[in-house]
Amino acid sequence: MANFNIDATQQRTFQAIVIGSGMSGSWAAKELCEHGVKTLVIERGRDVKHLRDYPTTNMLPYEFEHRGQLTKQIEEENPVVSKCYAFREDAMHFFVKDKEHPYVQEKPFDWIRGYQVGGKSLLWARQVQRWSDFDFEGPARDGFAVDWPIRYKDIAPWYSHVEKFAGVSGNKDGLANLPDGEFLPGFELNIVEKYFQEQLKKNYGESRHMILARCAHITGNLEYYKQQGRVQCQSRNLCQRGCPFGGYFSANASTLPWAEKTGNMTMRTDAVVHSIIYDEAKGKATGVRIVDAKTNQIEEYFADVIFVNAAALNTNLILLNSTSNRFPNGLGNDSGLLGKYVAFHNYRAGISAEYEGYAEYTTTGGRPTSGYFPRFRNLHKQETDFLRGYAAGFGAGRYNYADESGIGLSLKEELLNPSKYGNWSVGSHMMGETIPKETNYVALSKTEKDAWGIPLLSVNVSYDDNDEKMIKDYQEQMKEMFEKAGFKNIRTWDDHRAPGLDIHEMGGVRMGKDPRTSLLNKDHQLHACSNVYITDGASMTSTSTQNPSLTYMAFAARAAHHAMKNQKWGNV
Amino acid sequence: MQRREALKSLAILTGGAVLIPSCNFEKEDILVAYSNLQITPSLQTLLGQIADTIIPPAKVKGASDLAVQDFILVMVNDCVDKDQQTQFTKGLQEFNAFSKKTGGANFSKLESVEKEKVLTEGLAIAANTTDENQKAIREFLSLTKRFTIQGFMMSEYMMTEVKPYSLIPGRYNGEVLISSISNMKING
Repeated sequence: MANFNIDATQQRTFQAIVIGSGMSGSWAAKELCEHGVKTLVIERGRDVKHLRDYPTTNMLPYEFEHRGQLTKQIEEENPVVSKCYAFREDAMHFFVKDKEHPYVQEKPFDWIRGYQVGGKSLLWARQVQRWSDFDFEGPARDGFAVDWPIRYKDIAPWYSHVEKFAGVSGNKDGLANLPDGEFLPGFELNIVEKYFQEQLKKNYGESRHMILARCAHITGNLEYYKQQGRVQCQSRNLCQRGCPFGGYFSANASTLPWAEKTGNMTMRTDAVVHSIIYDEAKGKATGVRIVDAKTNQIEEYFADVIFVNAAALNTNLILLNSTSNRFPNGLGNDSGLLGKYVAFHNYRAGISAEYEGYAEYTTTGGRPTSGYFPRFRNLHKQETDFLRGYAAGFGAGRYNYADESGIGLSLKEELLNPSKYGNWSVGSHMMGETIPKETNYVALSKTEKDAWGIPLLSVNVSYDDNDEKMIKDYQEQMKEMFEKAGFKNIRTWDDHRAPGLDIHEMGGVRMGKDPRTSLLNKDHQLHACSNVYITDGASMTSTSTQNPSLTYMAFAARAAHHAMKNQKWGNV
Repeated sequence: MQRREALKSLAILTGGAVLIPSCNFEKEDILVAYSNLQITPSLQTLLGQIADTIIPPAKVKGASDLAVQDFILVMVNDCVDKDQQTQFTKGLQEFNAFSKKTGGANFSKLESVEKEKVLTEGLAIAANTTDENQKAIREFLSLTKRFTIQGFMMSEYMMTEVKPYSLIPGRYNGEVLISSISNMKING
């Protein structure tokens, strides 16, 4: 019996444990396994194998009973996740349903989650813009949060490392505030988007730019990606179903099979992490306690190094629930700031308009990206009555449609041969930086627990006056730019969405130089428990404006190499 | 549609059925597949005739050839508000009365030109009408027209045989002269 226990413990002992198999966790796993480190990946959801588990990927529109639409019953049962643009008949199986995993909304917060192998990397919008020092220096320059302990030069090589493997399509734009990277050929901006680019140059010189947004899609270097079993993006724009071509980066298509191929990765699915085990005598974390999602059995796994990549808010939850005599308020929480300074991206506002020019032109084919405004507000110096600024999406399109006013054969002829072209429609949506504050926080519910006996997460996050001013400024500035470009029927909107629907929640375990005011050091280790690394959204000191996944991936790769060097592992 | 059209043993119907004289009195069953609606097989047939008037068969198949009436019922049953469902059922039940009033006979007895006229009149009912029956006819017909068009355009037949749909749309071209796109005219 004793031997059995020793064997069992040995079987459950690895060099590294990675909690979470999504965007950032899969990158940690890939780097570790590739360099010979025996790694256990713990995933709370079910397995999703590339190709095998994309049930809708090649379904034709008429094969969906409701042609893609949600039923009223699903909407009523899922008031939160139904708000997400990608939660539709073709991809709803990759989202957490509201009832399955409740949480407490102290204030309205739409928490969009994907509990499965690959996490939200199957569902993301695939936009990958680098940060620059305009972003990393933000808190120090403008006096909020704490200074980032790293700068662009620390992360730049890891951006390159990640971009090359994931595959990023884009143009070299030569902008200091949105550094160029390792780009595959870019998609095309259309004639009206190019026209708008010229108008910006004419009206604003070099101070404002609209570029082709960089996206994680394969458009070249095909021999290289063949090694991952991935081929060129076919512009299907059905990414959220899982891509049979591996045309965009997902953990399922790229990093996880790569890690698995090494023979060094063990995947434990359906395992809800309860807490990280802290050994008081050794002064470090020694393992992870999980609850089997199906049997409710508690199990423990052990390793020298633990990566927590459970997605921003769940990483907070795990640390908060990892209590010991040494850390009564959560692992590494000497500062008392764990769970605090949560922030997100402000996606509330947008603008739409029409353009009457280029009436003889249209577009054909598809592309998985569109235009992008890097931040121009308060870039070089403070110039408005609010801090920081916003990036924005931009796109123009033209559509052929049928006049559906008739009935009978005339209607049928028109439907079969649609005769109408409207004006070009143009539009933009804002991606505003929000300021992390102590009063925006997550905590453990004192009264409510989930099906596995783990406290529910209580979310207390809201907009502030800075956000309201920024929305107003975005609308004014975009309106002015649209007017100067000669766009008509300009309408600005504010959909008053709750925080969370941006799916860019960040912070709670922020990086910083000083253990008294931050949780993580410059290498993503907990100041107070250095064999625990956190490289997902939880680690963010500030949010800047860029879609954050690329930065998490680069963080994870960089931290994995730090851990390997520290442990003198493998061939690093 | 893959829906099981099981029948309820006892159905309660108001409207048409109760007006039929006693000896031939026949209670019609309700299609339980559409549990949020009150639809009998004869109403389903009537709906098919209406859909066929909106998109009639000719060289290219028409709405009822593609069982678009079943698609309409699925969508109304599953994807619209309760209030709209009530209006839809009421409008469909009242539709023959409306047809008699505006076209002079039950819908199925009319020539196609007259059928079109009845639908056009029904669709033209003012949005702010205070007449409850008129309101129901209007709501019923607008939903029916919308889902007839969707069901027709997004049918397997249309998307494979008439206007083949491709999951792969081809390389993006952002600057295409409309005059350079050669669209072969499809005769309906």
